[in-house]
Amino acid sequence: MTPALRLALTGLKRDLRAADVRALFMALVLAVAAATMIAFFLDRLERGLERQAGQLLGGDLVLEQSEPFDDSLVEKLKDAGLTLSRQVEMASMLRRGEDFQLASLKAVDSAWPHYGSSQVEQRSGTETLERPPEAGSVWADPRLRSLLGLSLGDTLQVGEAELRVSGFIRREANPSGGFGSFNPRVMINAADLAATGLEQPGSRIDYSLLGAGPAEALDRLSPLLEGLREAGVQVRDVRTDRPRLGSALARAESYLGIAGLAAVLLAGVAVAMASRRYVERHLDTAALLRCFGASQRQLTLIFAGQLLGLALVASLLGALVGLVGQALLVRLLAGFLPLTLPAPGMAPLFLGALTALAVLAGFAGPVMLRIRRVSALKVLRRELDPLPPSAWLVAGVAAAVFGGLLWLYSGDFGLALALLLGGSAALGVLWVCATLLLRAVLAFAVRLAGSGPWSRALRLGGGQLARRRQAGLGQLLAFAVTFFAMAMMVMVRGDLLATWQAQLPDDTPNYFAINIQPGEREAFAEAIAPVVEAQSALYPMVRGRVSAVNGAPPADALSPEARADNALRRALNLTWRATVPEGNRVVAGEWFTDAGIERDASSNDAASNAAAEGWLGAVDAVPAKAPVPISMEDGLAGRLGLGLGDTLTFSIGSETLRARITNLRSLSWDSFTPNFYVIFPPGVLEDFAHSYITAFYLPDDDQGLANRLAERFPGVSLLNVDALLGQVREVLFQVTRAIELILALVLLAGVSVLYAALTASQPVRAHESGLLRVFGAGNRLISRIQGAEFALLGGASGLLGAALAELATVYLYRYWLDLPPQLHGWVWLALPLGGALAIGVIGHALSRGLRRQAPAASLGLLGEV
Amino acid sequence: MSDSFSAAAPLIHAAGLTKSVASGADTLAILHELSLEVAAGESVAILGKSGSGKSTLLGLLAGLDTPSAGELALFGQSLGTLDEDARAALRAGRVGFVFQNFQLLPTLSALENVRLPLELTSRENRSAAAREWLSRVGLGERTAHLPKQLSGGEQQRVALARAFVTEPELVFADEPTGNLDPETGAAVIELLFTLNREAGTTLVLVTHDYALARRCSRCLRLEDGRLEAFDPDTPHIREATP
Repeated sequence: MTPALRLALTGLKRDLRAADVRALFMALVLAVAAATMIAFFLDRLERGLERQAGQLLGGDLVLEQSEPFDDSLVEKLKDAGLTLSRQVEMASMLRRGEDFQLASLKAVDSAWPHYGSSQVEQRSGTETLERPPEAGSVWADPRLRSLLGLSLGDTLQVGEAELRVSGFIRREANPSGGFGSFNPRVMINAADLAATGLEQPGSRIDYSLLGAGPAEALDRLSPLLEGLREAGVQVRDVRTDRPRLGSALARAESYLGIAGLAAVLLAGVAVAMASRRYVERHLDTAALLRCFGASQRQLTLIFAGQLLGLALVASLLGALVGLVGQALLVRLLAGFLPLTLPAPGMAPLFLGALTALAVLAGFAGPVMLRIRRVSALKVLRRELDPLPPSAWLVAGVAAAVFGGLLWLYSGDFGLALALLLGGSAALGVLWVCATLLLRAVLAFAVRLAGSGPWSRALRLGGGQLARRRQAGLGQLLAFAVTFFAMAMMVMVRGDLLATWQAQLPDDTPNYFAINIQPGEREAFAEAIAPVVEAQSALYPMVRGRVSAVNGAPPADALSPEARADNALRRALNLTWRATVPEGNRVVAGEWFTDAGIERDASSNDAASNAAAEGWLGAVDAVPAKAPVPISMEDGLAGRLGLGLGDTLTFSIGSETLRARITNLRSLSWDSFTPNFYVIFPPGVLEDFAHSYITAFYLPDDDQGLANRLAERFPGVSLLNVDALLGQVREVLFQVTRAIELILALVLLAGVSVLYAALTASQPVRAHESGLLRVFGAGNRLISRIQGAEFALLGGASGLLGAALAELATVYLYRYWLDLPPQLHGWVWLALPLGGALAIGVIGHALSRGLRRQAPAASLGLLGEV
Repeated sequence: MSDSFSAAAPLIHAAGLTKSVASGADTLAILHELSLEVAAGESVAILGKSGSGKSTLLGLLAGLDTPSAGELALFGQSLGTLDEDARAALRAGRVGFVFQNFQLLPTLSALENVRLPLELTSRENRSAAAREWLSRVGLGERTAHLPKQLSGGEQQRVALARAFVTEPELVFADEPTGNLDPETGAAVIELLFTLNREAGTTLVLVTHDYALARRCSRCLRLEDGRLEAFDPDTPHIREATP
């Protein structure tokens, strides 16, 4: 072992007792823990989402066509590494005795399901099953109980086969069909399909191949899949067809990202404060070693080695905490994440170690250079300390490193740069504000008249702060940033939760009613009105496909990514409406006004009869020249690259309709109310075939109504989304817990800053209180002076932190979390008061030992321990 | 005694040594063109009043600082051509130091403090050597004690052990009794000279204490930035310095 390494190790062992090293260590552990925990968690969340997507799809890859798949294709897919399951779906008539019912039949083989499970009510109770129905048996939709009077054990005729009802489906593993298949579901084993005799040439049958396998297998298959797509096979894979799990989760991911950065930033501030003290404490040692013949290189090795050793141990411990933390997160999210997760990868561990090293190098590096520059002559002349590095250098290096970490975490250079520049500018403004604020506080403290013990303490405490203005400014900034980060995380958490709560109140609709024919509309509304507690509007719905964009086919007019959007590959549900739907917000352009419609209409040749005949008349007259105003959802417009003024041509039935986007709406897709990509003004779509959709909340004890509705309106499909709603609520609840766990880490990082800053300033304070004691001040007065000084510092930093937090959240809400900006009155009161109290109490407690010291010891302490 | 050693190659050779510092617009010369040779085995006392530049001279001679002008060689090696690192390397293991304020590291035990200079060398049995030197200064039983648990005299004895533990050729002592009461100081001096004699070390001692200076083989006085030989027993001087 080289002498330098040996010295580094022995020094480190001894140093573990020192407060600054402890603060440094704690900060590094927290930074690593936060970074690894969030990296692990997001990694697993990503995989979890992919798995869930696979579960909803029925596999990682799903091929669908209207005829059976060739065996050669099946072989190719197997060769690529996929396990396959075949699924056949069709509409079929069921018969029980004299009763008939149209049903949506699904036959699955023994490999089904690849992911997830079904919940089936059997004789033994409701069971979670990961297999298809047994041959000779059928699982039926519970609605068939009332529709056909079906019970467990009954015989049901499916096509030509007589099958025994062995279960009622509570939840299907991959509920395919979506809104398109509103007939009651029956599931049979693929082995029985031939016996039903339903698979006839010419019948409308959907054949699916569900494949499960690693991402590499899908990659290998991509040329083949492209060919299949062109041949008209519908190809879906988890990566392109990932369901939108909702803005709640996306926001939670953003929150975790920000929280992780906040924890790392706070840890960085703590490292900066602690390393200053560390360096000051070791200048004597360095000078002495220099005197004994150590070279600059050896000094660097010794002290950098010590910190490196510290960083390594902290990385290990932090990674361990991160691992435990992510295990806890996974446990919290157990209901949501798939049960069998792959073992945590190594990448987050490296990220953790890298974070520790970067934080150390960035926030402690420039300060550490002081040790290198120490002169041996300091052993003879104590005052010969090397100059501290310029504040610009320290802040610059720290900012650069933090920017690098931002880039590393977000993978977005532009964002990192913008945040960094914004942050640096904010720091500059903050510096000025802090200087002014400190000056004001000191002026206030010094002018305090009154001879009471507290005003005297405040005067003297303020005086102490004034004497160390530069150090006080540094502490003020550190505390302000700490309070800011802590408060921001608390504020954002509260607003996220409140937004989620508001989004899914207790009476969130749990039923959707679809296919309400125009003639049934009034009767249906009347039937549910007395029972349901909350109901969305009844929206008319017309199916239409986008056939042209700005006059050209979508394939020519749009980018490849836009062309791949699901909205262009299927028929859209179009509606019309005079007012902005509840929960929607116009973000660009103007909502339809009669005047607007007329003005638009007058610009074409059919102006004269437009008002009289409505828009359809105008369209009929000159279809190419009369674009109808429409409102488009801003997300879709963004994905398609469309904006105000662009035109779309819709094919509805056998007709086409040209429309111009005149406004964009934002809406919440997880609102559990009917949402529409495209809304027309009234008077355009009425003459097309349409039905109505509504959503309503039916309390648990009124479920009988669903059966009565099914009987009275047989054509209307009722969709119970209780399970889905429950799942979303559960996800939100679990994500909330995860957020609280991260928040705790941020708060701990904040405490580490307070600890580091307060221990760093201890020797100077000891010296001052020693002097005061020599001049005759009593313990009580010194205690009060220190308390007052800390409280002044805490109050001022709280005020600054509150301003910063309020400003930052406005920015965050607007650009990152997509929440409406809000003012937080409590922050302005809680932070200054809480800051004064927290810093006052902690600082006062930490200085207790000093106050007990004899003045001689306190005076000697300066610059030694 | 000094004559017999002056013939050998000097450990320290200084000629025209000048040290000035900027004082506002002016330059203040602390040391002015002084010359000095210290031969191996000599013990040289440099006397002077407070602020006369004694410590500055010591810093220069030990290579801790660089002169403004003049020539300076240590162990036959000219320091003018060496950078700070090379000067440090020249000192390593060959030069010991004793300071007025002891300069013990407060978080290190007595043993660790003594071992510190050895840590920079590749010597074996560092702890054993440090322990042995602590025994030689009479602190064999106090190895685990921290400096704050030792009296001033004991701390200086630890510092003596630390100065001699590398078996250096040259020891610099800066007011070694400055922080001690006369009785303790006398005991420390006794120990310093005993160790110096036993180890055959060359000693350069800076002091304002005539009793201490008198124990050295040669005395020099620093006054107005110049160095001159003098006899501490000269009545004129004794009267001048009570």
